[in-house]
Amino acid sequence: MEPLLRSVRGRRLLPLGPALLVLAAALVGRDLTGLPALILALAAAAGVFWAVSWVAEQAARSRLEECRLEEELLQSQKMAAIGQLSSGIAHEINTPLAVIGQEAELGLMELDLPDLKAQAGLDAARDNLRQIALQVERCREITHKLLSLSRKMEAIVQDTDVNALTEDMVLLVEKEARLKDIELRRNYAESLPPVATDPALLRQVILNLLNNANQAVERQGHVVISTDMPARDRVRISVEDSGPGISPENMAKLFTPFFTTKPPGQGTGLGLSMCMTIMQRLGGAIQAASPPGRGARFEILLPLRPNGRGD
Amino acid sequence: MENVRVLVVDDEKDFVDLFVNRFNKRNVQASGAGSGPDALKFLQEQPVDVVVLDLKMPGMDGIEVLKEIKKRHPLVEVIMLTGHGSVEAGLQGMGHGAYDFIMKPFNIEDLLVRIHKARERKVLNEGRQG
Amino acid sequence: MPTPPAKVLVVDDEERFGANMVKILEANGIKARHAADGEEGLAEAARKSYDVILLDMKMPGLSGKDVLKRLREAKVPSKVVVLTGHASVDDAVELINMGAYDYLLKPCKTEQLVKMISLAYEQRLIEQRELG
Repeated sequence: MEPLLRSVRGRRLLPLGPALLVLAAALVGRDLTGLPALILALAAAAGVFWAVSWVAEQAARSRLEECRLEEELLQSQKMAAIGQLSSGIAHEINTPLAVIGQEAELGLMELDLPDLKAQAGLDAARDNLRQIALQVERCREITHKLLSLSRKMEAIVQDTDVNALTEDMVLLVEKEARLKDIELRRNYAESLPPVATDPALLRQVILNLLNNANQAVERQGHVVISTDMPARDRVRISVEDSGPGISPENMAKLFTPFFTTKPPGQGTGLGLSMCMTIMQRLGGAIQAASPPGRGARFEILLPLRPNGRGD
Repeated sequence: MENVRVLVVDDEKDFVDLFVNRFNKRNVQASGAGSGPDALKFLQEQPVDVVVLDLKMPGMDGIEVLKEIKKRHPLVEVIMLTGHGSVEAGLQGMGHGAYDFIMKPFNIEDLLVRIHKARERKVLNEGRQG
Repeated sequence: MPTPPAKVLVVDDEERFGANMVKILEANGIKARHAADGEEGLAEAARKSYDVILLDMKMPGLSGKDVLKRLREAKVPSKVVVLTGHASVDDAVELINMGAYDYLLKPCKTEQLVKMISLAYEQRLIEQRELG
């Protein structure tokens, strides 16, 4: 009854209920008499009523689905626009950045000239110039990374064994994890059907999540990697870590470009936003949860077949 | 379906010879190169579908070679070979276009499957470009 | 006989960038000259034989791509290294197909640039020997 009352269409159909009830009762009760007639009438009416509410619920659900898909499309358009904007900016910034780097280099050369070279009093100035060069390098990493992200990440679809692919990435990460006393626990589904997706892009996402999980745990802890099928048409890969978890404020910003909890200079904060872009391109999704005191859990959802999207 | 053409690049000559030998016996047209520059030269002269590339080499290292290959022959798929798991190398490699990774020592059947998957991707990619 | 220093032409519309580049290259044993736009670059390349041409892509008037095309048409043997603030993989492949020797993304480390110039120069010397 509740979905019926909640949806607009449902509310419009509601008055139909009692009307159909009466009609049904009248029709059915015509050829019978007494108690059997009454019971049959009521049963038929109830049946009709439930049929009506079921139809209303389906209508409500499909409207909700439409809204959700519209929102997803808007979100991916937004991300595409952000991507274009940031690559445009990165492109423009590279030019003055190059000049700044040159000026710092030439400045150091000037201070190295024979009549200035021996002057220790200029050491502070030399250090300043070296710092400038260093910071230019930092900027360069950011712009180059942004530009490499904006490259077309077209999905090339191949039948993929998700368990094997996930295990490949876990093996890649395991040696370093063990050195830091981090245990990688596998919890793979018994058998998964082959998934039509882009294995190279999927590898990047999984490796990113594993890397993040290991960094969150830092030392002595565990990361659980699982695969399963939450529904008939999709596969889920989860990476759960025993780290300190993610605060509610950070949860909201998690997938935005440049968001990072690492200290300045370490990492560019582009990993998770890239993962989200990739998952959208694969027709899937990525979500995160961090219940207090229970580390963090990242889930990737992949449809068995990318739903009719061109790529 | 014609044999897949594979180039293995590794500075260990014994490894390269063994690889070429074993894979030629399995319907793979395999060739070897001992360094990045040799590999790039080979790719200029002969068509190759898949390159199996060692990550750690003296001189021009694996990532540099990968970058050059993807720059000049973007349709050639590269499988990186690594002696130990390195997350950084993995992320870097994939960021620069490597298709897959395999750790040494590897199982020959396993590598064969990956080589075929890599070739499949090349064919699909070529299909789009044409 | 020791190898003469490489002769490099820097074609870039940013005055400061071009002037700085010449100073830095000269400090690294390379003879360099700056041309402030595509037309000037083409004229200079025709006037003197350069081993390597560093070519900016985004220029007003004649674009880097246009210059590259004209250089190729005129069969100028200099090795062209494209210097650009932005290059996608597709752009890079296109430029190399159009005859560029290689490309570098700005800002680039001097060490990297000098290394690329010497590789291009070596290639040039080999080709000159084969012809002469």
